[in-house]
Formats: sequence, C-alpha cells, structure tokens
Amino acid sequence: MAIRGFTTPTLLALPLALGLATAGQARDLTIVGFGGGYQDSAREHLFEAYEKATGTPVSDDVYNGEMAKIYAMVDSGNVTYDIVMIEAPEMVRACEDGVLAQIDYDVIEKSKFIPSAIATCGVGGTGWGAAMFYNNDKHPDGPQTFADFWDTEKFPGKRSLRSGPKMTLEAAIMADGVPAAEVYDVLSTPEGVDRAFAKLDEIKDDIVWWTSGAQPLQFVGSGEVDYALAYTGRVLKAANTEGLPYSLHWDTLLYSIDYWTVIAGSEYEGEAMKMIDFITDMDQLKNQAAVWAISPAVKEFIADPEMAEKNSGAVLNHSDEGLFIDTEFWIEHGDDLNARFASWAAQ
Amino acid sequence: MTRNSKAGLALIAPLLVLILAGFVLPIASTALKAFDNPEVSAALPRTTVALGQWDGAAPLPDAVPDAFVADLQDAMGNRAFGQMTRRLNFEESGMRSLFFKARRAAPGLERPYAQALAEVDPEWGRIETWQMLKTHSNPYTASYVLRSLDLRMEPDGTIVKVEPEQAIFVDLFIRTFAISIWVTVIAVLLGYPTAYVLSTLKGRMESLALLCVLVPFWISILVRSTAWFIILQREGPINAALQFAGLIGEPQAIIFTRPAVYIAMVHVLLPFFILPLLSVMKRIRADYVRAAASLGARPWQQFLLVYLPMTMPGVAAGALMVFMLSVGFYVTPALVGGLRDQMVSYYIAYFTNTTINLGMAAALSLLLLVMTGVLVAVAGKLMPGMGGKQGARS
Repeated sequence: MAIRGFTTPTLLALPLALGLATAGQARDLTIVGFGGGYQDSAREHLFEAYEKATGTPVSDDVYNGEMAKIYAMVDSGNVTYDIVMIEAPEMVRACEDGVLAQIDYDVIEKSKFIPSAIATCGVGGTGWGAAMFYNNDKHPDGPQTFADFWDTEKFPGKRSLRSGPKMTLEAAIMADGVPAAEVYDVLSTPEGVDRAFAKLDEIKDDIVWWTSGAQPLQFVGSGEVDYALAYTGRVLKAANTEGLPYSLHWDTLLYSIDYWTVIAGSEYEGEAMKMIDFITDMDQLKNQAAVWAISPAVKEFIADPEMAEKNSGAVLNHSDEGLFIDTEFWIEHGDDLNARFASWAAQ
Repeated sequence: MTRNSKAGLALIAPLLVLILAGFVLPIASTALKAFDNPEVSAALPRTTVALGQWDGAAPLPDAVPDAFVADLQDAMGNRAFGQMTRRLNFEESGMRSLFFKARRAAPGLERPYAQALAEVDPEWGRIETWQMLKTHSNPYTASYVLRSLDLRMEPDGTIVKVEPEQAIFVDLFIRTFAISIWVTVIAVLLGYPTAYVLSTLKGRMESLALLCVLVPFWISILVRSTAWFIILQREGPINAALQFAGLIGEPQAIIFTRPAVYIAMVHVLLPFFILPLLSVMKRIRADYVRAAASLGARPWQQFLLVYLPMTMPGVAAGALMVFMLSVGFYVTPALVGGLRDQMVSYYIAYFTNTTINLGMAAALSLLLLVMTGVLVAVAGKLMPGMGGKQGARS
C-alpha cells in the first residue's frame, strides 16, 4: 500500500491496530450486533460456545445499524467486521451494492430456517414486530382487531400509530377487510393505496403519531392515548418488569426479521459462514433462550412446545397470526408512499 | 499593496477564514448538492455517452441499447448501480425493479438488444423510459429543486405540477413562514410590555427580573420543549387546573396541536426579542416623553409619536432575530406539534437521516435560505428601523 493512500482515520487507527496486532497474529473473527441484553446472552451462549467448539477466537462489537461505517470498511479494503446483524431493507440494499457476501448455503443448512429468513446475502437472525396494545384496566373490553381499532364509535378515544406509511397502510387496509395474505397485492395497485388512505381518513383526527419506539408506551402510560401500535418487546417488558396491565393483541402483529450477514471482503468469510450455521443450531439457541427472550427464525425453535411455553412473547411464534412486512415492497414503493403519506398527513 | 493594508489583512485573516470555512463553503456545497446528479453517468458510463449522441426523438438508435447491455454486464455487484436504481426510483416508482430485471437478464440477452430488452419488460420498449434515462444521465439536475416546489419534469422536458396527493412542499413553505410570522407577532406583543417594565426597574428588582428572562434562555431548547410536552398533555397540569376551575368538562387535546407549537416556540424565543429591545429602551432618556407631555401630548400620543419610534430599532432587531430563528425550528414542533404542524426543517432532517436523499435535503435548505433572504429584504424595505431607512431620516 502506498503511503499517500493513508487517510487521517487510518493513521489514527494505526496505534489501535498495532495494539491488536500484539495481542495476536491477526484480528479475531468479529461478530457485530445491536448490543443490549440480547447480545450479552448471545456472547455467553452462542459466541463463546463457538470459540470452545472450534478453537477460533471470536470477539464481538456493537453498532447502531449505521451502514455508512460498513460501506466505508468495504471501500477502504479495511474490513474489521465479519458477521453483522442487519435489518431487512438495509440488508437488501447492501446486498445490491455488493457490500455483503452471498450466503454459502452449502455450509449453512437452508432447511433450518423459515422461508422469509432465507435471502441471498442474509440468513435468519431474529424476529421483531409491532402489535396493538392498551391498558386492560381502563378498557377491559377493548378492541381486538384492526377493524376494532378503526371503530371510533364502539371504542372512543385517541389512537397511536407510527408516523409514516410503513405499518400504517398495512393496518388500514386490513381494517378495511383485506386478509393478511392479500395486503401487499392490494397495496401494489393505485386503487389499493387510495383505499388505504380513505380508510385512514376515517380516524385521522383521532390519531396521535409516534416517531420513536418509546413514545407509544409513554402515551398510553400518561393517558394521552387509549390504543396504540407498539413494538412487542417494549410492551412485554413494561408488562413483565413494571407490572403494567398491558396485553398484546397478536392478531394485529406486523413483523420482520433482522438477518445475519457476512461483509464482502472479510478475511474470515468461510469461517463466518460456519459460525452462522453454528449459532443458528437448536442446541445453542436453547441455551440462550434460557436467559433471554429470543425469537430466532429457526423452524425447530418455533415448533418446540417447551420454548413456546417459556417464551410466549417470541415474535416468530406468532407469525401465523401476523403479517410479514414485505421488504421488497417498501424498497420499491417507499419513496412514493412516504411522499403521499406526508402530503396526506399535512392536510 | 502597502504594508499597512497587508497588516490589516493579516489581522482580519482569522475572521475571513472563519466566514469562508463556516459560512461560504458549507452553503456553496449545499447549493451544489441540490443540483448534483452523478448516479446514472457513474453506473452506466457507455450508455451515458450513447445517450448524449441521441437527440431524444424516436426512433431509439441501436447504439443506446448496445451500450446499455454492455454496461449491465459490468454492473454485477457494482455499488453505483444500486445507487442509480434508487435515484431513478425516486423519480418514478418501479424503476428499481425494472433495472434489476434487466441486469439479471443481461448475461443471456442476444442481439438485437432493443428487442431483447423489450421482451424482458415491455417498459424497455417505450421511448419514454429511454428519454428519462437520457434526462438523468446529465450530471446536473433541476429535479430536486423542482420537487421541492411540487413540480416535476416530464420525459420530454416540460415542467408540470406533481399529482395533488404527492404535493407537500408548497404548503410546507407557506406553513413554515406563517408559523414564523405568528410566533414573531406574538413575541412582539408579549415582549414589548415586558421589556418596558424591565427597563423601568432599578437595583435588585432589575437583576431579579432580568434573571427571570435569562434563566430559561440558558436552558437547552430540548429540555424546555420536553417540559412543555409534560405540561400540555391530556393528563397534565394545565388540563387538571382548567378542569379544577370548572372551565372545561373533559380534558382537552392541547399537545400535538398548532397552539401548543405557538406556546412552546414563543416561550423559547421570547428572550431573543426582549434582550435587544431592552438594551434600546435602557438608553432612551425619560426626558423625551416628559418633554412631549409638557408640550401637551396625551399619553397615547406620548407613546405612539415619541416613545415607540425611538424603540423601533430594538423591535426590528428582536423581531428579525425571532423570525429567522423560527424559520429554522425543528426540535420544538417535532416534540409538541402534530404532523400538520411540522416545518421545513423536519423534512430536511427526514431526507438526511431517514431516506438518505441528500439532494432533496440540500434543495429544501437552499430554497428556505433564498426565501428567508427575500422575505427579510422585503421587510427591510417596508418597515422602518430595518436596514438603512432609519439613518436616512435622522
């Protein structure tokens, strides 16, 4: 490498790199996630188990989903992450941009995963979702479905939805009587979009929009709002740890998956594939599930009655009640629908 | 250049550098970004050349699809290709999948390519698709600025309004300036008497009263806006007090409405009006008003004809400051307003952080800057105390 190719960040990173170099010959196989309690449990029961089983040193790191850093790594040829957990739309984009390696399904056993968790550049990590909830003490006979959520006569009060078309249009079109399986077919047509916005018009004055995941819980907690769509993990946490009388209505679940991916140009590409296969094995996941409420996109885990009983909030255990948020649909129509939503909301 | 002027230049050099680096360069680069359009030419270099030689009229010369297929075959796993598809999808929904379809099919295509592409998707057989590609192979584009004014360019180059259900930005600019003007008017009405009372106080009372203005001024905008969220919410103290007083039966929705935005913004911005006005009022000697009174002016005449004109420079400076700051407000409306109360900055942040469409963010910023500049210039011409008129009269 020519000296003039060094940029300030590389020079700044040099002492760090040297520090690592003295610790071992090369850097460890590095796996990166969103941190928190999930990652603590994964470190203990997945990452260290892989280290023990294979003798390959593994270290883990945390990021906030910022893709710019990963793009910069691939651009500079200085790839220091090997396996990264990425959200679905970012995974598809990064795959199209050649930032991710294609998953080697000769190494990773495809049949382990539910179909929506199998992609060119990513494979089933963990499920997440949002569903309707409210205070049961205040509303013992509250709404059960999206149609009820829209019924302001039977269920008066304010509602809260995520500010933006994603998840909102799905809810609206289902409230209008479209079955979950046909939601994206209907929304792909201009008439379907008109229909969803017409349905939203019905309750426009009763909606309080949220922008961050903490808000719907705040709104319902303070009484600002009666019924809200919120991330299931947060609702369950509030119900279980703070003892709040909240219940989730899994029939209204809208869910997606975060994927395990391998960064293009990783020096451990082969090893990384092996590790992904290992950490999605039922034996390891069982150990992790004992300490943290995980929802891996693994068929056997979802089917396991013991796991389902212990961990009733696992999003993917409720996938047959819910709707999978179509990643492709939103990449394709996102710009248009965002503009239309903004225009609609401002009037 | 004389030694003196060289020394003078050296003395102001830090200021010049600051203005250049902190002001001129960022604005210039934002302005450029609003017109920058490198995506198509980066992803499809050969096609760009071929499109440049085509006059845009039917029929499409064979050179264009030939070059296009050659580019597609090189575009596997190419970053620029993904960026281009998203750029074109912003112009027209469906473009992204159209290009990926073509790229997937590219290795198996056989000549004549124009026909083969049309078999992959009939869209490739339409002249408009190629005209659009030609339009966007230009390294500069007006489409971000046009879109910021709810306009768009047809493939043949004519400018039309976007569909009414896609129109956002004209209303958004009107709303931004309307909110800013109202906030300024309310701040003037509330701030003027306050500043007057402050200017008459002496000693400890003066320090204490001034502290009451300054302390909120020193607290972060985010904290003050969040505090308003708590105060105004449905089960918050305001609603509780009104209910207790029997003025309202049911708690009212105050938060997430336009009045909430006015309340919080005026509160945040009031010190910016009071402080410059106060410094002007402090310097006005009471003799003038007394003189007017001794000459027989009634109280309202003393105020309107003598006192008010002397305070106008302070009013103008304060109002200008409040107006300029409210035009760029983001945090406060985002926290206490609903979706109908958001201002231009909200969308600048949205395009920067959420959809990562820097062209749109730059175009909106640029238009906001230009419109604010024009409005302030017009106000300066119309209102006394702003700009040079005051000096001309005295």
